[in-house]
Amino acid sequence: MLGKLTWSAIPFDQPIPLVAAALVGVVLLGVIAWVAIAGWLPYLWREWITSVDHKRIGVMYVLLGLVMLIRGFSDAILMRSHQALAYNAPGYLPPEHYDQIFSAHGTIMIFFGAMPFMIGLMNFVVPLQLGVRDVAFPTLNSVSFWLTATGALLVNVSLVVGEFARTGWWPAPPLSETTYSPGVGVDYYLWAIQISGIGTLMSGVNLVTTILKMRAPGMSYLRMPMFCWTALASNLLIIAAFPILTATLAMLTLDRYLGFHFFTDEAGGNSMLFMNLFWAWGHPEVYILALPAYGIFSEVISTFSGKPLFAYRSMVWATLAICLLSFTVWLHHFFTMGPGGDVNGVFGITSMIIAVPTGVKIFDWMFTMYGGRVRFTTPMLWSVAFLVTFVVGGATGVLLAIPPADFVLHNSLFLVAHFHNVIVSAVVFAAFAGYAYWFPKAFGFTLDEWWGKAAFWFSLVGYVWVFTPLYIVGLMGMTRRMQHFSVAEWYPWIVAASLGVIVMVVGVVCQVVQLVVSIRRRESLRDVTGDPWDGRSLEWATASPPPSFNFAVMPHVEGEEAYWAIKQRAREQARLREEPDYEPVEMPLNSPTGFVCAFFATLVGFAMIWYIWWLAALGLAGAFATFVVFAWRDRVEYEIPADAVARINRLNRASRLEALQQARRKEAA
Amino acid sequence: MSQTEDRAHADVAPGDEYAHEEFGSGLRSYLIGLGLALLLTAASFWVAQTKVMWAPAIPVALLTFAIAQMGVHLVFFLHLTSGPDNTNNIMALAFGVLIVFLLFGGSVWIMHHMNTNMMAPVEGGVRMPMQQGVPLQPQPGMPMQHGGGGHH
Repeated sequence: MLGKLTWSAIPFDQPIPLVAAALVGVVLLGVIAWVAIAGWLPYLWREWITSVDHKRIGVMYVLLGLVMLIRGFSDAILMRSHQALAYNAPGYLPPEHYDQIFSAHGTIMIFFGAMPFMIGLMNFVVPLQLGVRDVAFPTLNSVSFWLTATGALLVNVSLVVGEFARTGWWPAPPLSETTYSPGVGVDYYLWAIQISGIGTLMSGVNLVTTILKMRAPGMSYLRMPMFCWTALASNLLIIAAFPILTATLAMLTLDRYLGFHFFTDEAGGNSMLFMNLFWAWGHPEVYILALPAYGIFSEVISTFSGKPLFAYRSMVWATLAICLLSFTVWLHHFFTMGPGGDVNGVFGITSMIIAVPTGVKIFDWMFTMYGGRVRFTTPMLWSVAFLVTFVVGGATGVLLAIPPADFVLHNSLFLVAHFHNVIVSAVVFAAFAGYAYWFPKAFGFTLDEWWGKAAFWFSLVGYVWVFTPLYIVGLMGMTRRMQHFSVAEWYPWIVAASLGVIVMVVGVVCQVVQLVVSIRRRESLRDVTGDPWDGRSLEWATASPPPSFNFAVMPHVEGEEAYWAIKQRAREQARLREEPDYEPVEMPLNSPTGFVCAFFATLVGFAMIWYIWWLAALGLAGAFATFVVFAWRDRVEYEIPADAVARINRLNRASRLEALQQARRKEAA
Repeated sequence: MSQTEDRAHADVAPGDEYAHEEFGSGLRSYLIGLGLALLLTAASFWVAQTKVMWAPAIPVALLTFAIAQMGVHLVFFLHLTSGPDNTNNIMALAFGVLIVFLLFGGSVWIMHHMNTNMMAPVEGGVRMPMQQGVPLQPQPGMPMQHGGGGHH
């Protein structure tokens, strides 16, 4: 009846995961109880869970990303503190638990921290920057989000029911085959990633279609803001690369469930093929995360330098070059597996070449700041810190791209320090820069600057403090993923890295405090006009938070930096544009399809992990039935009458006019 | 506003019907496509068992028919044209073909080298194919990792 699931699946003998999960469970139940008692459940269901508004879905993506970043960070705290206690000692985590923690850390940070954060920002910002009212397929967008949430849920369920993979964040066969990993850990990984991967692929299709087909009138490709370009490149990579991951994991699933031999190293299987295919997805994935990050820095640096982006077109070409080149470097993840000198040489050279367009971007950002009136707000601080630290990470990357050097350094903590150096400074810094930059657009008030800057400084110092010792101890020969060690020279560096984690914890706490303080002080932080940063692209042309239809009338774009041109004209003429003729707006109806689909997908995933076949069949049937019901719906859209559109838009026009006149008076005085 | 409408008409997704198109001409294009597809399929089956052609040329002929088949599907069923309204679709196709080429070609190349270098021949000959063209012949009893060492 329940397949492999018995009471022994709950790890009663391991206090750490159980207590942690109980704590999270209590908090979660508390929040749900609070929401239910306050009577907010209908609101939550109507306005958020069933919403197909790209802004709401984007916010939920970012929220998921934030929570999962903290979850992944708690794994990092465990690993660093464990290693600090594991010199000539067993530490406090038994090996099988330690292995699960480093596997979960990588999986969660990449798939459920960084990815939702970036996809969330793209979802929220891209339609606003393009001057359109929604993404191409609004309901599909909701399905994508909820499937991603399903994956995150499954990974976290593994904490208390069963176990997670002990294979590292890429489940390398033959270790991940049933011979060596008979438990459910790898199955949790497979089903969580497969289900959320479908969501990611659909979200990629959605955003590419939106960018190619749905721009405001006059918004030609070379008038799109940089973030839209990088979002386009990133989503093209999602469409091209995620099917590889899905197919590869499907093959591993067939190996594990039906006794196939794709990667078993017997009966014709080959485990090296898994590495080849996994990294053929894995390296483009690096740029799926990094390209939107580059876009965020472009927007932030240009806005806070008060200048157009330097060499916009070279930036576009660099983005497209990275998009293509990212598919030509994957072998550098397994130089040492034995492809030989010829193959290694070619991929070593391509890996160095891909640093060139990235270098172009670095110079473009620096020249954007040059001669500008730079305002060092929190988003700008993250961006400048990125420029400095990312160059270090990029340089160690080019070093590792040299195959002979890689033979010495692969699998060491030097490698770990390198990829954290690039991925934290690019993706995480960009995530926080984008979070602070677009928060007022999403919620109508800015974040508290003092706490933001505190969070920035502690995070930056902590991050440098953690990873510099890891670079050094990696050069001294310490390999990654060690449960204990006995080399005296390594010990001080490992302790130093652990102290750095404490500084990072302070940074995370500041980030949380910032949010709480800002919500409490929201009246004094209110963004009245919808343009708190003196922005340059169209998202700042509408109110904060934007109405559900984004723009009362479609903006007409006449050049690069669409909103800057409009604003300059308003400033010169000391009046706003002519009031447009308002027309009724048609918006898509909310739909529970995404949530219900994801509910059934969760059943399927959980049932497949525990071999509960009837439940899996039930879940699949339920998901299909949901799809059929949705396909047969009669009403697709609802209409917002023209006078409602006019009323909403006039409110924002009034506050913008007020701000304009105030600025004039100040100038005159 | 006219510009959006222009673009909405100009950019037609694959499979979209043109509003102004007559029903008959649409049907004719599908029928021509179906005829060509059937012809190419029949030709493939015929080539596979014919004695008329030089044997080594048969795989090449099959490959040619397969590529032509893809072309027929793209042109007659997915309505891929070279017109200016079809730039997105052509670009998407080019991108897809390039990625498939990189992934497929790269994987074959990489896996060939790794098999040659790393999969040491097992006594009894289970892994026979890897023995050909081994640059450094591993001796029995030699650790596997040393297979590729000769390159560095």
